Amino acid sequence: MAAALLTLAFVSPVYLTIVNAFKTQAQIVRDPAAPPAPPTTHNLTDALARPDRIVQIGLTNSAVTVVVSVLLIIPLGSALSFWLFRRSARLRRIVLAGFAAGLMIPPAVVLLPTIRILTFLHLDHTYPGLVLANVGGGYLSFAVFVYSGFLRSIPGEIIEAATVDGAGSLRIWRTIVMPLLRPATATVTIFLSLWIWNDFMNPQFILGPLHGQTITTGLYLSVGQFSTNYAQLFGVMFLAAVVPVAGYLALQKQFIAGLTSGATK
Amino acid sequence: MTTPTMTTRVRRRRGDPALGAIALVALGLYVLFIVVPVLMSAWKSLTNENPLLARSDFVGLSNYREMAHDSALADSLGFTLLLAGTVTIAANAAGIAFALLLNRTSLSFRMMRTVAFLPQVLSGVIVGFVWRYILARDGILDNVLLSLGIIDRPITWLGSPHLAVLSVGIVATWVLTGFTTVVHLAALQSIPVELYQAAMVDGAGRWQRFRRITFPMLAPGTTISVTISLITMLKLYDIIAVLTSGGPANSTQSTALYIIQLAFTDDRYGYASAVAMLLLVVSIVIALSVTALLRRREVDL
Repeated sequence: MAAALLTLAFVSPVYLTIVNAFKTQAQIVRDPAAPPAPPTTHNLTDALARPDRIVQIGLTNSAVTVVVSVLLIIPLGSALSFWLFRRSARLRRIVLAGFAAGLMIPPAVVLLPTIRILTFLHLDHTYPGLVLANVGGGYLSFAVFVYSGFLRSIPGEIIEAATVDGAGSLRIWRTIVMPLLRPATATVTIFLSLWIWNDFMNPQFILGPLHGQTITTGLYLSVGQFSTNYAQLFGVMFLAAVVPVAGYLALQKQFIAGLTSGATK
Repeated sequence: MTTPTMTTRVRRRRGDPALGAIALVALGLYVLFIVVPVLMSAWKSLTNENPLLARSDFVGLSNYREMAHDSALADSLGFTLLLAGTVTIAANAAGIAFALLLNRTSLSFRMMRTVAFLPQVLSGVIVGFVWRYILARDGILDNVLLSLGIIDRPITWLGSPHLAVLSVGIVATWVLTGFTTVVHLAALQSIPVELYQAAMVDGAGRWQRFRRITFPMLAPGTTISVTISLITMLKLYDIIAVLTSGGPANSTQSTALYIIQLAFTDDRYGYASAVAMLLLVVSIVIALSVTALLRRREVDL
């Protein structure tokens, strides 16, 4: 009982986001905590009917950024980890220490030089530039750590046998290692998708508000415009949150497994 | 001359150039977007670069000397460290308590565990807005506290420096607790039941069982949970940017926000780079030393 009450209090902010998305402005002002009775879908349809199409554009851009970034990070991260796995322990330690730094460095520290590098490549304020910064940044560190940790649990004999059969490294990686690494790939995909989807700083500064919107920067922008129109705000917020929340609810077993694999070892 | 065994050995050592090429691309991208930016920051921190100036000059350590007298920097670093320290402790204490409370396997508890992680799934932008709404003057929190008689007049949670610091801390703790709960739950479930049975046979009470079994056995989970909490707090940007934008009177301006302000509002690239180097060193030193400390504690416990 105490657990239930505490959990309820804990998730009340999430509850507010959901119920107020289905209430009129008058209902919200009267009692923000009340359930939506009668519920209205006007906030959602209004949000989707905006002339600037900020929700549709944001959702599309976020989806494309996430998919392309993750599709690049998975092969790069796993190939690098497998390649490292077969080097000397010393080299592996040095490279992994370098990648550990990527997990600890606050993104704000490298933001300005990152934009300078993208400007030099003529990719500043573009989606390819945003994707490139995602792929090369701290997210790659995360992928390398998950894959490297998982590779240590694969019995050496399996790879050994394939080598004796004369298969090249690339083929071993593609046909033997990648299938064995599937749980690691699931963890990498889930967490990187969530983080890149929810990322605010990179799209805000690398893309820039004048050059396009992801769902987070679009939401930030629309709050500036509708600071007191709560009905509209909650509608946009609901649409922004529904994709990651639905993904989490559908994949929660893998979420928890990925999150806790390191905690119990 | 070459025997078949030799070929495989040579081959294994050299590997396949194609795999090496992909690995090299990955390494190259990492160098380009993490290593080079850090080196660039280090170099720019020795200049007075500013997009409004025609040229930038080498100024030696003058940016670093200025940092020593920059009270805004001292305040932001103080706030960042205070926030990182207190939120890490609060979120992990709450996570352990929550995990103990939810450590059953029945369906309703599984559902509560699912729900407890939800704050982690939401974007910091959404978290910031919802809480800004909750914490507004005459907002939901004020109304609840008024109706319970805990306060007698509305409080402007985000309006005064001290309360704004507290509010940011509460919101950050709320988000992180989802993570610390799940990590500690997993650690709890890996503790063998036999340990508790043996302790009960020996007549150990509840508190003793927690002190002597649960807490030490949680240590590996706590190490990970505390380290990640600290790193998250040291880089925190989005929640603060939306909740308070660093205000009022810069009271909630984290060092990450200060760097962004120096770089993108004040156009002081050189000085922003110097502050970035400071945050980099502080983050790495804290993360490494706390991990080492907690690892040693795991062994001692």
